Amino acid sequence: MDTSNKRLIQRLMSRIPIKMLRTTLGKWGRLTEVQLKSMNLTQSKWALTEKLIAICEENELEVKHLTELEMIYIIDNPNQGMWHTFQLMDPEDDAQSVELTQFKEQFKSHIRELVRQVSVKMKKHTDEAVWIRIAWGDAFSRPNHLKPTYVVHHLQTPYVFVTSLTAKQKPLLSQALVLSTRHQAIKDANLSGRKLTAIRDLMMRQYQQVFPTKYPSPLTEHNPTVSNPHIGREQAEPAANRLQMACEAFGGGMLPQLQSAVYKLETKFRDQTNKTMTEREEPFKCVVKFASTNLLESLRNCASSGIASTPVTPLLSSIPLKGRNYFVITDNGPGPSSKTDQPQN
Amino acid sequence: MPPGADTPEMERHQNSVTRTPLNSVVVQRRSKSKSYRLSYRSCLGATSRLCFTPALTARRLNTSRRAPKSHNITEKVNPEKLALLVKTEWQLSYVSPLYQFRHTQLKSYSRQLSAFIAAEKQQGLAVEVEGPQKTFRVSFSLVQGMAESDDDAETVLIQIHSKPLFARQDEPQRPVWSGWLTCINGNPDYLRSLPKDFICLPLFGSSGAEALTTLVKSWFQQFFDCCFGPLEISHTCLQWLMALWTNCHTESSIQHLKMIWTLPVVPPLQVTYTVNSEDAWELWSSVRKEKEKENKAGEMAKDEEENSIDIEEVTGFMQGLKSHFYRHFRLDLSAGSLDQVSTALGSAKYKGRIKISNSRYMITTLTLLTECALLKMPI
Repeated sequence: MDTSNKRLIQRLMSRIPIKMLRTTLGKWGRLTEVQLKSMNLTQSKWALTEKLIAICEENELEVKHLTELEMIYIIDNPNQGMWHTFQLMDPEDDAQSVELTQFKEQFKSHIRELVRQVSVKMKKHTDEAVWIRIAWGDAFSRPNHLKPTYVVHHLQTPYVFVTSLTAKQKPLLSQALVLSTRHQAIKDANLSGRKLTAIRDLMMRQYQQVFPTKYPSPLTEHNPTVSNPHIGREQAEPAANRLQMACEAFGGGMLPQLQSAVYKLETKFRDQTNKTMTEREEPFKCVVKFASTNLLESLRNCASSGIASTPVTPLLSSIPLKGRNYFVITDNGPGPSSKTDQPQN
Repeated sequence: MPPGADTPEMERHQNSVTRTPLNSVVVQRRSKSKSYRLSYRSCLGATSRLCFTPALTARRLNTSRRAPKSHNITEKVNPEKLALLVKTEWQLSYVSPLYQFRHTQLKSYSRQLSAFIAAEKQQGLAVEVEGPQKTFRVSFSLVQGMAESDDDAETVLIQIHSKPLFARQDEPQRPVWSGWLTCINGNPDYLRSLPKDFICLPLFGSSGAEALTTLVKSWFQQFFDCCFGPLEISHTCLQWLMALWTNCHTESSIQHLKMIWTLPVVPPLQVTYTVNSEDAWELWSSVRKEKEKENKAGEMAKDEEENSIDIEEVTGFMQGLKSHFYRHFRLDLSAGSLDQVSTALGSAKYKGRIKISNSRYMITTLTLLTECALLKMPI
């Protein structure tokens, strides 16, 4: 076994937590029952790594087997690294009929036409998602298996989720994807986050949405803080209204875990108390970033607690509504309050 | 010594016929430092009688300060020393006046603090991560030329050098900790009211291992009978820094004006608001112009006042930034807390961390922080 393979095993072993090791290796199925039992999990990571290297040598396992193990682990633990979303545009007539085998063949052949040294591995996950692992090389070097790109695509949907992609690799992947899914173009969907499941749920609207009703039934508040019954009664109605509007804007129940949203504002400064700035022609340029462990829940809480005024501004409700977390905001036309968000590209 | 001084030591010794001289010194010191703390409050109270709310302003920051002038501080202060102070993030503390601190004794202080650290390490009380073999070399030095007024005591820089644990014999010692004590434009009435045995260097900055900071502080406490306390940079003070830095933009670009807010929701929401430097400066100068107009109307514009910045302008600037934010997000930043502000000239955090990136505006920043430290000192 050469050094690059040993390094790949070391890298993998450092990523997989001890408590997940046995199940991951079991799923991999490249170790005999005896070999699997011989991996004593009370040993140190270092000792286990040496042991695994020895077993791999004994079983004559190669790179393709090791990358298989990596994929099994990544598919089970996708919430690592930064995931970016792309959207396929203008489907051809036969786009809907692309099935897995065809897509696999097409993608591999297209990407190999673009890059000579590339290693592609694909796996269909149980939830219909196709996982693609790409190790890139160039004219002078063999594919680098230590820095692979991962792509997740649900066939027959326009969404593609990608992690660890460099600017140089982006056009190559885009072209291969467009051709093999029978679309004409692909664009940045301006949504990114650390949790693949969250951005996928947001993109595919897989979270509990709340719709406006004519006679709003007040949603139950989780932890009522008002103690005085008189004050409580007086505040109950507006509070219920705020909660209703907050849930309409951001959704009810558990919300997809998004970490941040960025707004690039290039709008005019308008403030009645400041004439000089209001009369100024140029836009006031600033960048606002919202960050939280669960951004949508924070924003919903802002609206329901009254820190944010209700109804919620379209700027914030656009995050779940449009499934985006990067916006460029400019003034649109001469209207006093009309503003739109335009995609960055 | 006043009879019946109200310190616990006195009560304990009241019945004993003989008193050791040491004890009486301690008592005398205590009562003295107490009287200065009182005098600090009363001298501020006296000036504030001109205002409408004397009781409140006595414990507040100045509501007006001179616009920062670019100091060519490199002409006054040794550039090598200056380089040690800028571009490092310092954790701030306040220090009460030092009893019998002498700027002429720095060499002996260096030896004593080295010995103190060595002794503490051997007791195993301090950091155990580092081996017992590790030696620390302490050096005290003066940073001459930093003081602005005649009443300010000269700034003192402390550096601790050490060798890494597994270093070779011939490897030179490297700086592992540094700190300084300073007083820039300290309240002259207060400084003059101190008796000559006390030196007031109320602002302490440190950078390096926490354990060493603790040791240095406890050495100062033992040798100069002073006390240290954490110095947070308050919301008002952060706003002042924003305004003072932005005011420098035409001379030295601020690159950007960045504020970080935390909103008290579940889970906490952090808002980073970064404003383009030109736009921040235009908003600031528009707020300044409004004030000039008012001044002219009231025929108040005197030469000295033109160059001063008032708290109204500072809050007006912040109000402008907040209203622009609210207009877009309908979210009230006032509900949250301002945690951090930064520009290319420096950064400041509520937790008491400051970084000064441009030495030309160092004096302005340190003047404000000296004032904060004096205010924070227990009365």
